[in-house]
Amino acid sequence: MRRWSRRLRHLAGGVLDLPQDVVLEVPRITMIGHLQMYIENHRGVLHFSEKELRLLLTNGQLIVSGEQLVIRAILPEEVLLEGRIGGVKFV
Amino acid sequence: MRYGLKEWAEGYVTITVRGKRFERFLNMVVREGLRVWNIRRVGAETCRCDILIADYFRLRPFLRETGCRSHVEQREGLPFWMVRLRRRSGLGIGAVLFFVGLYMLSSFVWTVEVTGTKQMSPQKVLQAAEQIGIKEGAWKVKLKEPLLLRKELMTLLPEASWIGVTIQGTKVTLNVVEKDDPVKPIVLGPRHLVAKKRAVIHTILPEAGRSQVKVNQFVEKGQVLVSGIIGSEERQRAVAARGTVKGEVWYTSDASVPLKQTQYRLTGEKLGQQYLIVGPYAVQVWPWNKQSFALYESKEARFMPSYAGYTSPVGWKQVEQSEVVESQVELSTEEAVAYAKRFAREDILRKAGKDAVIREEKVLHATTENGKVYVSIHFSVIEDIAVEQPIVGIPQSPEPDSTP
Repeated sequence: MRRWSRRLRHLAGGVLDLPQDVVLEVPRITMIGHLQMYIENHRGVLHFSEKELRLLLTNGQLIVSGEQLVIRAILPEEVLLEGRIGGVKFV
Repeated sequence: MRYGLKEWAEGYVTITVRGKRFERFLNMVVREGLRVWNIRRVGAETCRCDILIADYFRLRPFLRETGCRSHVEQREGLPFWMVRLRRRSGLGIGAVLFFVGLYMLSSFVWTVEVTGTKQMSPQKVLQAAEQIGIKEGAWKVKLKEPLLLRKELMTLLPEASWIGVTIQGTKVTLNVVEKDDPVKPIVLGPRHLVAKKRAVIHTILPEAGRSQVKVNQFVEKGQVLVSGIIGSEERQRAVAARGTVKGEVWYTSDASVPLKQTQYRLTGEKLGQQYLIVGPYAVQVWPWNKQSFALYESKEARFMPSYAGYTSPVGWKQVEQSEVVESQVELSTEEAVAYAKRFAREDILRKAGKDAVIREEKVLHATTENGKVYVSIHFSVIEDIAVEQPIVGIPQSPEPDSTP
């Protein structure tokens, strides 16, 4: 059943030319240089410190490393992060 | 995503949350729809974040569930301002009173100004204005429209042909335009026009009276040019003679010009000096050392603040010195003669009157003696020679139409 659903989604994405993040449940990340980062479609905060923000995704995790990180705003599915962002890693 | 102004209006607090499970607490709070922002970690187990006042009171169950503790660090926003303002209510009342006072005071007339009066006294205009309510201390709301005020003022002051009433802020300006009496023609008594110098008549244009001389005639000083007595022997009448009589007058002018002349010339070098004036003393402020040129021309500008007739004893003076250089110039004889001619011409024109014209000039002789050039020049000048002379002694004859 799940496999069917995933195939249907892929198909819809291909045929209807929809953006991938709408069809698949993956995060959409917008970065402004290394200063600001806007992440949509996360599933919660796992760890937060000055050097690292770990977010839960539908499949796996997202690790943002950097310095002086500050969460400027947070909503159930969105995060606005500021600071000196050094790296983004999917786990 | 964020509304800074809305947050400020609703009021927010900065809190620190202490606890091991801060992330879990954060997720729960966000899922519940509470607004949290500016989250940063300040210690191993403490985080600081901003939260709305309304949401702060909903935090308790989540804090208890995750075993965190919160502490309010800072309060900001309009509600806290209001609290502070209530504590210092004098300030708020003062601000309100200030604006009320400003508004009230600006709704009165403070000054009435009269402009444009010539014969009429401004006092009279002010009295008339007071009758219709324009006076110092009048409430502007009670005054009528400026157009109506103008009409009323004009009925009160028939001497004025127009009165403008302008209310600008707290100042009322009454602009008066007075009626001008038509200019009365000057009544002239009977008179002759006589010659003021020995001359040869060049042109004669009598407007009133009878001309007694012809063009190219030689006249002596005091000779009648245009007679004011008209009519035949039996029926005479004296009038004011008018007209222009121009004559050719001869002048001889002697001038001497030294051949060696000293000329002064500006070099363009300038020095500025600043002085501070205290009472009768002027202290040089800039430049520190006293310096000046050997020869100079100086210009001075003073600045003394004054208000309403009182001049402050402290002021500022600026002196600008321009350097001057002296040089000796040796003139040739021709140049000296030209110089002398120029001076003589100016001198003659000054003597002859403003609409005189030099018709001819001739150097009679020029001699050089003791380093000076002596020149004698003859001028023939055309100038107005007529001068009025009242007719006295002759009884005024009756009007021509009254005689039989």
